[in-house]
Amino acid sequence: MPNSDKSYEIVLCMLEIMKTKEAEGKQARVADIADELKRPVDDIEKAVETASKEGWIQRNEDALKLTDKGRLEVKKHREYYIHQKYAHYPGFLGNIGKFFEGKIKDWRGHWHRRHGFNSTALNGFYRNLEDFKGRIEDATPLANLGEGEKGVVAFAMGGYGLIRRLAEMGLTPGVEVTVIRCGLFRGPVEVEVRGVSLALGHGVASKVFVRPSRVKTNEG
Amino acid sequence: MKDKRRLTIALAGNANVGKSVIFNQLTGLNQVVGNWPGKTVERAEGTLYFQGYTINVIDLPGIYSLSTYSMEEIVSRDYIAVEKPDVIINIVDSSALERNLYFTLQLLELEAPIIIDLNQVDFAAKKGMRIDAEKLSKALGIPVVPTVAITGTGIKDLLAEVICVAEEKTKLSPLKVRYGQEIESRLKELESGVRKKLPKLCETYPSRWIAIKLLERDPDVLNRVLAQKQGTEVAASADTLAGEIESIHGEPSSVVMASERYRVANTLAKDVISIVSPPQITLEEKLDAVTAHKVFGYPILVAVMATMFTTIFVGGSFLVGGLEHLFEGILIPAVAKILSGVLPRILVDLINRGVITGIAAGVTIALPYIIPFYIFLAILEDSGYLPRAAFLMDNLMHKIGLHGKAFIPMILGFGCRVPACIGCRIMETERERFLAGFVVTLIPCAAVTVVILGLVGRYVGLHIALALYVFDLILVFALGRLAFKALPGEPVGLLMEMPPYRKPFPKNVLMKTWNRTKDFVYIAFPLIIVGSLVLETLRLTGLIWPLAESTSPVITGWLGLPAVCAIPLFFGILRKELTLILLSELIALNTLTATQMIVFSLVTMIYVPCVATIAALIREYRWKKALFITVFDILLALLLGGIAFRLLSI
Repeated sequence: MPNSDKSYEIVLCMLEIMKTKEAEGKQARVADIADELKRPVDDIEKAVETASKEGWIQRNEDALKLTDKGRLEVKKHREYYIHQKYAHYPGFLGNIGKFFEGKIKDWRGHWHRRHGFNSTALNGFYRNLEDFKGRIEDATPLANLGEGEKGVVAFAMGGYGLIRRLAEMGLTPGVEVTVIRCGLFRGPVEVEVRGVSLALGHGVASKVFVRPSRVKTNEG
Repeated sequence: MKDKRRLTIALAGNANVGKSVIFNQLTGLNQVVGNWPGKTVERAEGTLYFQGYTINVIDLPGIYSLSTYSMEEIVSRDYIAVEKPDVIINIVDSSALERNLYFTLQLLELEAPIIIDLNQVDFAAKKGMRIDAEKLSKALGIPVVPTVAITGTGIKDLLAEVICVAEEKTKLSPLKVRYGQEIESRLKELESGVRKKLPKLCETYPSRWIAIKLLERDPDVLNRVLAQKQGTEVAASADTLAGEIESIHGEPSSVVMASERYRVANTLAKDVISIVSPPQITLEEKLDAVTAHKVFGYPILVAVMATMFTTIFVGGSFLVGGLEHLFEGILIPAVAKILSGVLPRILVDLINRGVITGIAAGVTIALPYIIPFYIFLAILEDSGYLPRAAFLMDNLMHKIGLHGKAFIPMILGFGCRVPACIGCRIMETERERFLAGFVVTLIPCAAVTVVILGLVGRYVGLHIALALYVFDLILVFALGRLAFKALPGEPVGLLMEMPPYRKPFPKNVLMKTWNRTKDFVYIAFPLIIVGSLVLETLRLTGLIWPLAESTSPVITGWLGLPAVCAIPLFFGILRKELTLILLSELIALNTLTATQMIVFSLVTMIYVPCVATIAALIREYRWKKALFITVFDILLALLLGGIAFRLLSI
């Protein structure tokens, strides 16, 4: 990652929103992005300027368009994000990992050697990242949900066998899960899915990515 | 020609749907439990008579899908496709209809004659759901019979329906699962290729099913297709088509197909379920909340285990006394009296000390310890507590590269290592199974506990006995961790259903206990008897003394035990508590020093898993791995015994 300051974060968020709009066949506009990110238009304008300079987007009046380079940047960002946050030990050890992450040149090789992804699994994983709608920060491993929280399965990363087994037990993309209980110390997670309770080991639950359902707080 | 009055039916369904209860209701005591030929998968078979028919019932393993994830799944689908039973009863849990229908849809794809047994309708009612069986039957195009297996409600109707289907009075027009357009068009293309190029395979399996499995990249079907003449062409086109589906959806084709099936199952379930009342918070749910609680769950787990083992040991030792009296006081003299008139003395001794003592050894361990243990186990199993225990122990089990489910065979190991070895079947991969088997043979079983308590506990002190026990558990943990690091391959994570709590059904508990005890007797008894005969022959011919002496460098030199200890250790191979019994016959136990007692117990605890366990190991893992475990355990016992002797003598 070239830099990691605040303005770069906004750029990335913008790129991800544009990627989603592109997949939905919608036109991205500065005003819409500002709305979605809940930020002043000026910030977005600044981000657009940075992104244009990097060659990630093209601007035509108000309409914005992602370039191939921009798409690649989104992919890279999502990969970094998942890797850094969830693939190795989260928390303190993850911060140590961050230091080494910059040194990784061959990402496919790293996923393969260190995380045991074979090429089919890896292709599937990249495809999942590519197809992901919205900001990757919206996805979180099932293991991170608290008791009683709900989420909708987005994708599962891991080997072919695991993904299929998960699907057969009912954990297919798009299904809603409710966490019933979590074990102590990174213990297993029990979820309810399709009217059945399933127990997932912590490792398995860390590989299932969900979009947490927002708890409605502003009732009445 | 098929006999008109004979029928074969198979029971198929998910695990935890009450399948074995239905099976027991149908067959009663007329059942045989064994293995599928060449597979370590349990096969239960029974017969019943109904309306003049002799009906053979096969209980297929409880599975969630008909892919090739596990041996059970392959066995089940091959049985259905190849043996073609007259009728398949698909047992469906009404309270988890959607997931169960997912399996039903796969059965329908196999195009077999199916009846649905809508089981546990009472449980669904408790959850506030009513299921319209007629509507479901119409939607699926096959008969649906609601039952409550525990009370036997609906079983007669179920059988009557089986006969109707078998006599073709009921016409089946099973639902064809329709996938999305993009999949259907490719399926059609592939199916016509399959029909043209693989006529032989199509005789056994439905062509559409082959096409579906090929699109799912099912390795087992793929291999079968490749073995055919024009198989490579079909496989190549399947690969391309599956690739196309994958690039449309961005998921592996099998996941796409699974999602589609779940979509169909979901629609079906939604259509037939009506919520009639809000779900009650049942006693079972409250029990679940407490027993699987992340903090309170653990003391409860300890309490449950403690209760179980105390009951077994206290009750067991009481029974052992009686049984030993029966054998040694009554049976052996009686046999001696009867036979001594006919046979020479040496043969009488051989029969008495070999065969009868062998049987006595088996019975005195089986009756007092194994049977109560099996009863407890069946209760824990049927109530649904074991998955909760597995859930609680998952974290710890991961440290030795296993997952929570491995806790179940480990509990079994505390009772007897034979069922524990067989219990390792529940592990998913070969690697996990071996790892679990390795660990389980080191768990102190009931017999070992008897030795530790009887020798160290009695003469040295209870705290030392306890320390030995704890040491063994640490050893189990350390070795498990070592083996986990040494064995290649990735550990598999836990993914297990947590069935709701249910009241155990006494008949089912007893049937399970009975079948398992029979299984134990079949494995253990022949070997115990042969083993006793061999050892007795050695003793009678006097060969045992030189043999014992030849081991004295190890026994005396390395372990620091009296040379005579070699003999009980030999006999301990048959059954571990024999070591203590024989030792007490050979020398006065109080002449041994505390160190010697500890070393002796330690060696007994770890060395050779008894003959019956070795037999179970060979059956489950083939002789090579069984030999490895056995030799490893002997060497480890000697190593640790020697070290302990030196450390304790300081």
